[in-house]
Amino acid sequence: MLVAQKAKLREILNALSEEYQVAVPVQREGTSAFELYRDGIEVMFNGNTSISPKGMFFPQTEKMYGFKTVKNTTEFVSLPVEQGKRLLFGVRSCDMKSLDCLDQVFLTKGYIDEFYKQKRERTVIVALGCNEPGETCFCASLGLDPQKAAGADVHAYDLGEVIGFEAVTEAGQKVLDLLKNHLREQQFALPPVGEFYLKPEVAGVPEKLKGMFESPLWEEIARKCLNCGACTYVCPTCHCFDISQDVRGEKGIKYRCWDSCMFGEYTQMAGGHNPRPTKKERVRNRFMHKLNYFPERYNMLLCTGCGRCLDVCPVKMDITSIIQQIKEAK
Amino acid sequence: MCACNCDCNHDHDYDHNSVSSTVTSNPLIPMRAKVINIVQETVDTKTFYISTLDGEKPFDPQPGQLGMLSLPDIGEAMFSVTNKGEKHIEMAIKAVGELTNALHEIEVGQEVGIRGPYGNGFPLDYCRGKDLLFIGGGIGLAPVRSLIMHCIRNREDYGKLTVVYGARSKGDLCFKEDLFENWPKVPNMELFITIDKEEEGWDGHVGFVPSYVEELAFKPQVTVLCGPPVMIKFTLPVLQKMGFAEKDIITTLEMRMKCGVGKCGRCNIGSKYVCLDGPVFTMEELKDLPPEY
Amino acid sequence: MEDLTLVLRRTAKEILEKGEAQMVIGWEKGAFWYSSTSAFISKPEDTERLIWDEYCVNNLAKYLLDYRHKEGKVAVFVKGCDSRALNVLLQDKQLKREKILIIGLACPGMKDEVEARKLGRGSSIPLYKKCRECRYPNALNYDFFIGEDKVIKEIPAQDDFSEVQALESLSPDEKYNKFVANYERCLRCYACRNICPACNCRECIFDRTASGWSSKANNVSENMFFALTRALHVAGRCVGCGECERACPVNIPIMLLNKKIIQDINALFGEYEAGTDVTAKLPLGGFEFTDPEEFM
Ligand SMILES: Cc1cc2nc3c(=O)[nH]c(=O)nc-3n(C[C@H](O)[C@H](O)[C@H](O)COP(=O)(O)OP(=O)(O)OC[C@H]3O[C@@H](n4cnc5c(N)ncnc54)[C@H](O)[C@@H]3O)c2cc1C
Ligand code: SF4
Ligand code: SF4
Ligand code: SF4
Ligand code: SF4
Ligand code: SF4
Ligand code: FES
Repeated sequence: MLVAQKAKLREILNALSEEYQVAVPVQREGTSAFELYRDGIEVMFNGNTSISPKGMFFPQTEKMYGFKTVKNTTEFVSLPVEQGKRLLFGVRSCDMKSLDCLDQVFLTKGYIDEFYKQKRERTVIVALGCNEPGETCFCASLGLDPQKAAGADVHAYDLGEVIGFEAVTEAGQKVLDLLKNHLREQQFALPPVGEFYLKPEVAGVPEKLKGMFESPLWEEIARKCLNCGACTYVCPTCHCFDISQDVRGEKGIKYRCWDSCMFGEYTQMAGGHNPRPTKKERVRNRFMHKLNYFPERYNMLLCTGCGRCLDVCPVKMDITSIIQQIKEAK
Repeated sequence: MCACNCDCNHDHDYDHNSVSSTVTSNPLIPMRAKVINIVQETVDTKTFYISTLDGEKPFDPQPGQLGMLSLPDIGEAMFSVTNKGEKHIEMAIKAVGELTNALHEIEVGQEVGIRGPYGNGFPLDYCRGKDLLFIGGGIGLAPVRSLIMHCIRNREDYGKLTVVYGARSKGDLCFKEDLFENWPKVPNMELFITIDKEEEGWDGHVGFVPSYVEELAFKPQVTVLCGPPVMIKFTLPVLQKMGFAEKDIITTLEMRMKCGVGKCGRCNIGSKYVCLDGPVFTMEELKDLPPEY
Repeated sequence: MEDLTLVLRRTAKEILEKGEAQMVIGWEKGAFWYSSTSAFISKPEDTERLIWDEYCVNNLAKYLLDYRHKEGKVAVFVKGCDSRALNVLLQDKQLKREKILIIGLACPGMKDEVEARKLGRGSSIPLYKKCRECRYPNALNYDFFIGEDKVIKEIPAQDDFSEVQALESLSPDEKYNKFVANYERCLRCYACRNICPACNCRECIFDRTASGWSSKANNVSENMFFALTRALHVAGRCVGCGECERACPVNIPIMLLNKKIIQDINALFGEYEAGTDVTAKLPLGGFEFTDPEEFM
């Protein structure tokens, strides 16, 4: 395996920055997230970021196009789009899996979401293996390998003093070629992955849910939920959005922004009809979407086991316990 | 939001010089179009005829398909395309909120944004050669009308056409020209029009749609219905009593929509997206979905 | 607190068995040793799930709103701060007193779960800041009281506004930069609003984006507009329960803003401690001829 001293990461990222716009996980005030790399910025190695990297591909607020309305005319203006190759360093297995989910949504079923595609295509990803799962992590229960993220271009491994690299794709090989002078070949065995605390048994749950739409479980589960958007906004797979506009006189910008099925107004229709009028329906939709609807439509769960939702939920709604309750429900 | 046309949200950390080309062929970006005619249908419903700026049809929708219409500074909303001509498409729009009220203010010549066509549309192959019963309530006739117009244009491909249409009052009947002038002249087509309450100057039928359907003397093969939830609720048992199989009862659904292309997640009923897999569903298909619409 | 758990369970069980309430809202254990969460019990046998430990920080008062239009009574356990929150809900006429059964507790202060996770089991875990500063640890308004009706925690003589004052001493630019740094990361998830007992409007202006008052776009100015509007909308009714700040997924120091406003209300309208007296008139809920009116 190709390795480099961890202490040399700065040189490596500087070298990559000449070719790519590089983003790395960093600790910042109150939270942690992926940020554009600047020389000297400290890369976060312990645990995953609180804010997932999905915003790199599907920003919370994204301008789609401009428009101009003068008298009765209407013009649409396409906006400049950032170009150039990007490199994401330090994406964990769960978040790599979430890109697989988002690819399904944005790139399949007849329509291609150009905004997402453009960002996805110009990004190479260096995934970073996890040796010590966080307390809220459960990716392994969903069949992911915490050390080797499927879909990444390069696998990086945290080997203590050194970082190991293995190219997976052609784009990944190019990245390592660029780093030739910084890497040396050395044998290294991956450390064993630590024990997971949360181990939901998800087998059979999507199928079982098919018959559980009317289950009394939903009402019980939903009682504690506040219907805020915290869980869906931190979730790397949630992808619901709203479309709106910002108007300044004759000119305006049409943008899309994250939305959440937890919000009451989300499905509100004309005449006051709301197909999901209370917490119960909203909470049911969230878990059904993740564990039944999405698997039905795209053949994979809409959950990667990143544990962020149970970490941030102010009332400790816990998807692993809900999976367990679904399993046990009569 | 900063008014400069950069791709960032609020922080200007990005290097704007790296910005160059533009996104093209994007399904979320509308096409520029123009309103070429407006017909006042009822107090709160108008039909808008829409063409491209060079007078062409913006797109060629199948009956039952949808279009996303916008006044970009106000908003964007989904409407069924109720009819199409050689060079235009038509949308019948009821004023219920921000955008629809603003649309009711505009005049012929107004430029708008439009994108589509979206959705599956009616199963034409399945309907071909059959006797069809169309049931509409209020603005609900709009999507059904696209299929009626299609059948009239291709009259020899379809069997007998029967329309049962109801509205609250005479003034609430949409598409009056079709109802009272054009359609009565169509061969092998029968119309049953009803209003909810007695009214001066109305000598037609009075009563609700479901009971009127029950009075029909014969049973067509396939029925297409659209209207307010109460109408659907009370008509379904009647249709079942008449002996329609679930696969022969066709309806169109509405959910809140934003993208129209199966991405924004908003219009789901179970694992189906109304914008993509609908809006047309048979009762047989709906039975398989959670009752959440 | 172990034995109190048993008393709590027994009380809840009796209430349900006697039919004094349809449901009891209390706490149960979450996934981790440092997490306790809300529990909604309607069968006597389920009262075994209830617990009372130093992680029962979740203020349960707001849940009562979910049941205000339902038949029957709901019983709820309240600590000091929760009890103040409940009083505010009563003052705001959001709840009918006769529809709720209040079981008061004496609170020793709750431990900071973020610190608990960091430090690990067995270490000494600090209390939440708001608990260290708390001046009303005992429930103030209740039908039953569990445990001994005595202060089991040291009580500071005065509210601590030192952080507010530190902020006030900054230059306008420094203040602004601090503000931006905090609200730049706001996700507008509305967890702070939804957990807050003082945020009890039937329809929040931030859910009415079509009105044009606010937009769903996430940027610093919209986020600050949200933060300031919310802070002012809860002015005079914020009980300092700290739930907003605890709920925030990106750890924005929301309490700083709340405390600034509490301090200003004290200065402008006289000392007022929200939710400590259910019969009190709200400082911003009426007017006196002596009120300052600088901008009117
Ligand atoms: C598949 C489909 C076909 C439709 N066909 C027609 C049609 O042919 N003619 C017609 O007049 N209307 C049709 N509608 C309804 C139309 O989309 C809404 O009336 C319109 O979006 C309201 O927009 P607004 O900006 O005027 O209302 P707003 O000011 O946004 O809101 C007014 C009220 O309408 C609700 N609302 C917003 N968007 C929708 C929506 N998409 N569906 C239902 N309620 C909504 C709001 O929550 C609010 O309660 C259709 C909707 C769908 C989904
Ligand atoms: S599950 Fe938790 S984070 Fe999600 S909406 Fe409910 S209260 Fe908020
Ligand atoms: S549902 Fe929760 S655990 Fe699953 S991917 Fe989303 S945030 Fe992570
Ligand atoms: S869980 Fe809700 S917010 Fe998340 S993707 Fe599904 S519908 Fe959208
Ligand atoms: S603003 Fe915060 S501290 Fe004040 S009552 Fe609301 S949640 Fe509690
Ligand atoms: S909880 Fe925090 S992130 Fe969410 S809206 Fe409130 S301040 Fe913003
Ligand atoms: S409208 Fe966006 S998914 Fe249907």
